[in-house]
Amino acid sequence: MELKICHLYPDVLNLYGDSGNIRCLQKRLLWRGMGAEVTKMPLGTRTSLAGYDIVFIGGGQDFEQQVLLEDLHRGRDSEIRAAALDGVVFLTICGGYQMMGHYYETFDGQRCDFIGALDLYTVGAKKRMIGNYKFRCTDSAGGSVVVGFENHSGRTVLGSALEPLGKVLTGFGNNGEDGTEGAHWKNVFGTYSHGPMLPKNPQFCDMLLLTALERKYGRAELAPLDDAAELAAHDEMCARL
Amino acid sequence: MNFKAILAILLCKLLRLLSRLLHRGGTAMPGRYALKLCPDLLARLSKNVRSVVITGTNGKTSSSRIVEQAFVEQGRSYFANRSGANLLSGITTEFVMNCTLGGKMKKEWAVIECDEAAAVKVFPQLQPQVVVVTNLFRDQLDRFGEVTHTLSNIRTAIEAVPQAALCLNADCSLCSSLALSLPNRVVYFGMEKGAVPSRAKPELSDATHCIRCKTEYEYDYISYGHLGGFRCPKCGYARHAADYAVTDVIEQRSSGTTAAFSICGERRVVEINLPALYNVYNAVGALAAAMESGVGADEAVRALASFQCGFGRMEAFRLGKADVRMMLVKNPAGCNQVIDYLENLHNRFVLAICLNDRGADGTDISWIWDAEFERLNSIAGRIEKVIVSGDRAQDMRVRLKYAGIPDENITVERDYEKLVSSLEPLQTDVCLMPTYTAMLELRSVMIRHCGGAEFWE
Ligand SMILES: [Zn+2]
Repeated sequence: MELKICHLYPDVLNLYGDSGNIRCLQKRLLWRGMGAEVTKMPLGTRTSLAGYDIVFIGGGQDFEQQVLLEDLHRGRDSEIRAAALDGVVFLTICGGYQMMGHYYETFDGQRCDFIGALDLYTVGAKKRMIGNYKFRCTDSAGGSVVVGFENHSGRTVLGSALEPLGKVLTGFGNNGEDGTEGAHWKNVFGTYSHGPMLPKNPQFCDMLLLTALERKYGRAELAPLDDAAELAAHDEMCARL
Repeated sequence: MNFKAILAILLCKLLRLLSRLLHRGGTAMPGRYALKLCPDLLARLSKNVRSVVITGTNGKTSSSRIVEQAFVEQGRSYFANRSGANLLSGITTEFVMNCTLGGKMKKEWAVIECDEAAAVKVFPQLQPQVVVVTNLFRDQLDRFGEVTHTLSNIRTAIEAVPQAALCLNADCSLCSSLALSLPNRVVYFGMEKGAVPSRAKPELSDATHCIRCKTEYEYDYISYGHLGGFRCPKCGYARHAADYAVTDVIEQRSSGTTAAFSICGERRVVEINLPALYNVYNAVGALAAAMESGVGADEAVRALASFQCGFGRMEAFRLGKADVRMMLVKNPAGCNQVIDYLENLHNRFVLAICLNDRGADGTDISWIWDAEFERLNSIAGRIEKVIVSGDRAQDMRVRLKYAGIPDENITVERDYEKLVSSLEPLQTDVCLMPTYTAMLELRSVMIRHCGGAEFWE
């Protein structure tokens, strides 16, 4: 078995150790004797997303946002929407997560249109939400407790029919008010958790891999790995929070 | 000096005395209280002192030590904020400790290391003669935000000191863009094409797109990170020729570097008293700053060979039989440079990485995933043992595991006392890579074992 992983915009959406998430997806397949092919698609790449099992989109700096939007609106946006509808696994983090929504409105009222793959929008706030945090995933997203680091000034509001990824246990999450964190629709997962997220949350990583494998092969199993190091890091931060 | 200022000076000196009696550092706290009494105290004190101020992401401390040594060689009367207290409060404390009770400065010059975010408050009061911006990299995103924010902070700070000469890193597209909008006199330092073999474009660059027009840069060569011969194909913004240039890195040793410099057109072969490429940058930047402040070329070049840095910056210790180097790490760019250094070592060594996530370290440790620890695989045969320590030791362990170092080869040791004791009987070299607060703690344990001075002494 083999998964094809696409790292979208690694050149501009790469702010928070996102490459750690890619490494984690890849290693946890390789350690089980499965194949993992990672393709980077920087700005300006015109290759289609077709055939990829997992698409990863990370967080970025404001500075490059304009060039990014231009690239998205040259057709990548409708392609992402189609792939999401088709059940491709997406992991989108921070800026990449916001980008999946309808728009971002800055604190002073300037609006930036995104791709609308998820029914959510984000509004800039004055105060940044920063720090280690933890949340419990909904049952449909595996039910695990995830620890990560959030750093965002945008407050994200989910549409009424959109499920959050989980419920905040400690920290801010989507907006610091309604207790929700991230979003989950079909196989699209969005979250504010970088850190990076996957290495310290092996259960969540395996859930993504299994979802992608089952979609591709109908049935799949993941052999257990020795996660002593990963769980030690996870549990230690859980206990601190 | 008015009454308030005199009172503030008195208070500052007393608080400092008190904290020394209690064996605390007292580098920032006295200044903080003094500034509450007299907010423009630094401006009043700095009126009769000329200063060189060093800011930027990496290399501030080492560069400051070189400028200081150049002042020693030149025979100047000066003081410096040597303890790394580089915010307004710490800098004010240092000024007060070097003035009389009446507020008269005892020295003619100051060598000041200044935090990037604090520059906005410090520069207007300090009114320096020379400002060095070493480089700009992503660093402590939880505190500084993105790197362009840091850049605009520095720009705002310099707007308040139009008479200062700027020494800018020509190879850093972010730093050198300061010259585009500021009226100051500018000199550039940097590394010429061919000084070191050009690197491949880094996987992760902190400045991929033109700061002026957002077009992707092209590079003639890359010395490390995003530093090199950049050029914007659209608007023409490009690397400026360097007045102080490294033309050839002749020999890199574990104890230092021999390089050829072109100093305003004149070729000189220089010895640099610290190893690693990033210290060659620090050397040429500090040399530019010293000479722009009036130090002679001979004195400045001598300083490169004779300065002592210490304080965790490639600091050498003799611990029992082990040769120990302590190398502060705080962001991917600097950490990658330390990994470069490890790759070039000939001897076998023990590696200990101490990762903390306190305020001064940056509370977000995700940068460890952007540092290229994968490169340790190519030298795995020379790594005797890997130890992880610090508040986030487990995260470091996971990082190394995913970099390809087998988990069974990694030891977690949280207790610095035990860690240092375990190093003592070793006959190999030891490389310690602590983050800032871990460095402070680890260093005081090391010093107790080796015999030496605390950081504020
Ligand atoms: Zn340009």
